[in-house]
Amino acid sequence: MRPSVKLIFVSTLVIVLSACTTINVDHVRIKQTAALKEGDAMVVLGRHQTAEIQTEASLVSCIGSRLARGTGDVRIIPEAEFVDSFYPWFEARTAPLHPKKLRKVLDQPAVAEKIENLNIRYFVWVEGSTERTNSAGSMTCSIGPGGGGCFGFGSWEDTSNYETTIWDLKTFSEVGRVSTEAVGTSYMPAFVIPIPLLAQVEGDACQGMGNQLVRFFTNDSSGLKTSP
Amino acid sequence: MLDKVYSSSSTRHCRLLILVSLALLSMGLISGCASSIVVKPDIPSPLVKRLPLNTNLVYSDTFKNYLYVENEKKRGSMKSIDFTDAQAAMFEQVFGSLTNLVDSADPSKNLSIEPEILDFQYSAPSETKLKQYEIWIKYRLKLRDGNNARIADWTIKGYGKTPTSMLTSAPSAFNAATNIALRDVGAQLSIRFPQQTVVKTLLAGGAPPTIPEPEPEPEEQLQVAANTDDSEAAAAFLDQLPDIDDAETDDSISAPDAFPEVTDESSEGEEDLIETDYEDNDET
Repeated sequence: MRPSVKLIFVSTLVIVLSACTTINVDHVRIKQTAALKEGDAMVVLGRHQTAEIQTEASLVSCIGSRLARGTGDVRIIPEAEFVDSFYPWFEARTAPLHPKKLRKVLDQPAVAEKIENLNIRYFVWVEGSTERTNSAGSMTCSIGPGGGGCFGFGSWEDTSNYETTIWDLKTFSEVGRVSTEAVGTSYMPAFVIPIPLLAQVEGDACQGMGNQLVRFFTNDSSGLKTSP
Repeated sequence: MLDKVYSSSSTRHCRLLILVSLALLSMGLISGCASSIVVKPDIPSPLVKRLPLNTNLVYSDTFKNYLYVENEKKRGSMKSIDFTDAQAAMFEQVFGSLTNLVDSADPSKNLSIEPEILDFQYSAPSETKLKQYEIWIKYRLKLRDGNNARIADWTIKGYGKTPTSMLTSAPSAFNAATNIALRDVGAQLSIRFPQQTVVKTLLAGGAPPTIPEPEPEPEEQLQVAANTDDSEAAAAFLDQLPDIDDAETDDSISAPDAFPEVTDESSEGEEDLIETDYEDNDET
């Protein structure tokens, strides 16, 4: 078999066998329009308030990047930078859980002044995680002086469940909410070399949620539920 | 000819893969070895209002030389952990922002704070299957007035964890988790310190009532507590952790009115700011 034919065969196999993810995104707009203007800033923060709730920093960063690309001139402040500069008010244990609590945090003159200087208009809170929900198969790897290799087949299912809440700092109220559930199965066949066919569950959840958030902030309300 | 070139390229590719696998395996073995960890401090400066108090931080020899040594052979994720510099940096960062730090001999001193480690525990992914490195630290802060009379004890707990990821070694994960736990302690101190009755009394120019000095704890007893290798004890410690307001009921609290309840939802006072009770999270 010629190399080009082999290449086409392998590519086709990879496409056919590539893992896929099913995503379900729900979006509720509580306030009709988002009022972002040039120079405004937003911060995307993950919830970490209990041992169970540990939103991945990579997902928070991914949503921030998606929002930065989709909302034009709005500045997205990175989570670590924000939390460090506002220490101790947004730590896992001390972060406000309701907009009314945020108002009380902003009663601290130093905090309020810094928020104003940074032109922060919206807080986007992300809560949830991606977890391994199922796995099957087995694989054996060995290595010796003459070489090594793996044999077997493994598969696993990852499930992402995230909820994003948007707070408006002008009104100290919740103005929107996006929920995402993504399920994906990854495969790893191994014949000497393991070939991972990975489902990018967290990445796909980020894309789904990020796109909805961009639609929220750009006031694109097509196909969205509106809270009465 | 083309086939030959392709075959040669494939062989090189296989060798490269084997080399990479060997390198990754070696890294895994190296990172799996127990090591002595020295935590590097990484605590930001608190964004808080400075109070007109002149405070002296007192570190006992036990505090300054604290070293957690793992004696259980079954626990192979670390040999020892030294976070003395990190915790001292945290206390100086926090109380240096909250108050004016002065020397012990300074006549203007109106408060002395002596931290003491009551307990330290950890868990590694191999022990809990949680894929996380976790650290628990429990401190008691002894507060004395300008005349060196004991006015309050404050027990405070910190918790930190770091998720595992590829290429994260145990030392760097423990380093990060310890810093998160110290951040947690620092955050609670920064927010709650101005709300304490004794602090308010000092700020008002009053003299807080003194409390008796407790009996000194035997050194061995503390060491046993620090080296507890009991998953049930660790779980119990974690269960206690969220409810940091149990400082009120802690045996070590000698000043009953020193640390009032601060999570009253109906209250509009300053204390309401603090999200210290984890049960409160259910309201979201």
